[in-house]
Amino acid sequence: MTIPGFVVKNAFRNKRRAALCVLSVAASLFLLVALLVVLDAFTNPPEDAGSSLRIAVRNKVSLASPLPVRQRPIIEKIPGVEAVTALTFFGGKYKGDENTFFAQFATEPEKLESVFGEAKVPPEQLAAWIANRTSALIGADTAKRYNVKIGDRFPLVGQIYPIDLDLTVVGIYRGTSDDRNVFFHHKYFDELMGDPGSVGMWWVKARSADDVPIIIDKINAAFTNTSAEVLAETERAFQMGFISMWANIKVLIGSICSVVVFALLLVSASTMSMAIRERMRELSVLKALGFRRHELFAFILAESFGLAVVGFVLGPGGAWLLFHSVDASTLTNGLFPVLDVTPRILGLAAVVATTLGIVSSLAPAYAMARLSVVAGLKTLD
Amino acid sequence: MFRLFKYHFRSVIVRWRSTAATVLGLALVIAVFVMVQSLAVGIEKSSANTGDPRNFLIVRQGALAETTSIVTRDQFNILRYLPGVARDASGQPVASADVLVIINLPRKDGSGSANTILRGIGPLGRDLRPQVKLVAGRWFEPGHREVVASQRLAKRFANLQVGGKFHSGGVDLTVVGLFDGDRSAFDSEIWLDADEARSAFDRPDYSSALIRLENDNAATQLKKQLEGEKRLKMKVVREVDYYKEQTRTAGPIRWLGNGLAIVMSIGAIFAAMNTLYASVGARTREIGTLRVLGFRRRSILLGFLLEGAMLAGIAGVLGCLLALPMHGYSTGTLGFETFSEVVFDFQITPALAAKGIVFAIFVGTLGSFLPALRAARLPVISSLKAL
Repeated sequence: MTIPGFVVKNAFRNKRRAALCVLSVAASLFLLVALLVVLDAFTNPPEDAGSSLRIAVRNKVSLASPLPVRQRPIIEKIPGVEAVTALTFFGGKYKGDENTFFAQFATEPEKLESVFGEAKVPPEQLAAWIANRTSALIGADTAKRYNVKIGDRFPLVGQIYPIDLDLTVVGIYRGTSDDRNVFFHHKYFDELMGDPGSVGMWWVKARSADDVPIIIDKINAAFTNTSAEVLAETERAFQMGFISMWANIKVLIGSICSVVVFALLLVSASTMSMAIRERMRELSVLKALGFRRHELFAFILAESFGLAVVGFVLGPGGAWLLFHSVDASTLTNGLFPVLDVTPRILGLAAVVATTLGIVSSLAPAYAMARLSVVAGLKTLD
Repeated sequence: MFRLFKYHFRSVIVRWRSTAATVLGLALVIAVFVMVQSLAVGIEKSSANTGDPRNFLIVRQGALAETTSIVTRDQFNILRYLPGVARDASGQPVASADVLVIINLPRKDGSGSANTILRGIGPLGRDLRPQVKLVAGRWFEPGHREVVASQRLAKRFANLQVGGKFHSGGVDLTVVGLFDGDRSAFDSEIWLDADEARSAFDRPDYSSALIRLENDNAATQLKKQLEGEKRLKMKVVREVDYYKEQTRTAGPIRWLGNGLAIVMSIGAIFAAMNTLYASVGARTREIGTLRVLGFRRRSILLGFLLEGAMLAGIAGVLGCLLALPMHGYSTGTLGFETFSEVVFDFQITPALAAKGIVFAIFVGTLGSFLPALRAARLPVISSLKAL
């Protein structure tokens, strides 16, 4: 019998134990990967092609305070600015929905393409949207989730604003990092609100990436000491601001990850040593036959390592399959648009699996090395 | 049966080494479950602990929270002089019109910024909320750009200590005191004078009105009156009921806790099965002996199930103990209703601990079923011959 053959035979001598061991490792690694993926979705929002050229302008007080429309011409005149669009978060509920996770924005249809160019909309749909004041452009994910087609009504109940919208879907876009959003005419919104003369935010597109810092400074300076001071920042910084609001939840998920890893280590190390203890006698026979300690250690290591690898293939591999084959927004009921098992996460899980394989073989290997041949042959267990 | 139970009990004690790792593993699963759920409990407790049953909150119809509500000055003047509103010693109606402004403040640890609630209150606003107590400095004075912050918020945000200053809405606001909200939703707020807030943040209207009514009868009357008055578009809620509803943030946390518990416990079940199979294997002779002594197969099955449940119960208690140091630890995250930071505690209640232990026992019983079945099915003669 070859040595690899010996190791494999040993690993599967108790098939049930090997299977249970692999499954518990796989379940824990699966959880670890799933948690890391969620943590990643929290802390690393996906970037679009146009991200680096976009600037978000909000009221300095907070996102919840509006901005006056008179700011628009001032921003438009700043050199390097290509386009400016208003974006007001509506925060309504889709009729009959318990929790609505997609965002809805009032915006200026004719400007949308120049600021958020990555959204792919058939030209005739875009034209129809621009032409119809009560129409809506919705993301492909939302269209799929609610099974709405072009021409369907799309009612939204206001939760922040005291108005309800009765929209008609005329276009469906895709191609952005978050194909869930719903856009409608700011004019329609203003009309229902009685023309308050304010918008939620300004989104500014710069001509080139070099202009971005200069434009940000100029916008910030333009409204200092006015009644509506603004905070202009890059799209990335704006997204990071959102993440900062989650506060301790990030730390919580991070620490759960480490507990999972620890529990995993503990359990599989104990299983591994159980497997070795059971064959102390055989190992002693091998010792008596002249196998050296390091060779026996290699046997044990190879076996525990092998089990960990199979666990890795099943757990993180399963997670990868799951997140790739099932749509993330269906899986999380619309909470996350994308959940991606990145190579970094898989790498991390591989490191954990490797460590696991090594650590769990240490204790039995140490016990085996110390055991004298005679004592080993005498063990009954 | 009692003797069999004694056997299992003593066996668990004698062989603690072989099960220690599994028990500890399950204990960690329970600790994670209890800890995450204690966050949801903390949010709910802080919500449920807010308000005075004599107070009624008036907000715009359809408003999700006070922050998105509007009460105009005229509306407030109508409201406070309605019959049934309690009067204080000087004959003033006990009512406060509040302005809520969400302001973005930098965090203390420099890790970015987050939204907080700035609440402008009327002259009687403090009397209406007796659970809020000043713990440092003094209360703000109307007419000055002064604020009093929650001491728990002050631990999380920069410049909120007494004497600290922050700039928002084009004005500088000075912190002159710190209050303690008695573990209520007010712990996530900064207070100042309502009219000062209106002028600093350019708000023509108030956000909500809080009034004290003479009795519950007056509340029914008021409700009927406001509902009849369609032009006002106001709704009346008992203050405590309003806050009790503000627990949407707890939902996803619960969801996270349950999801974690399920996946982790699947791993734990496999591990428990492994340990118990090994344990059954090692005790083959003892089981054979028990059978010879006259114990039935189903007694053996029951005995091993009980052993698994007992071990899991120990793990459950251990898990709760591991989670316990987090009890009362203050933390915070984004509140879904207010779109600003909510500060709350990890709350490990007896009910939650019991839930954790029951969950552990469930996992243990599930994990020990197949090994117990195997033990029960061992043939007597050959098991006695086993080494």
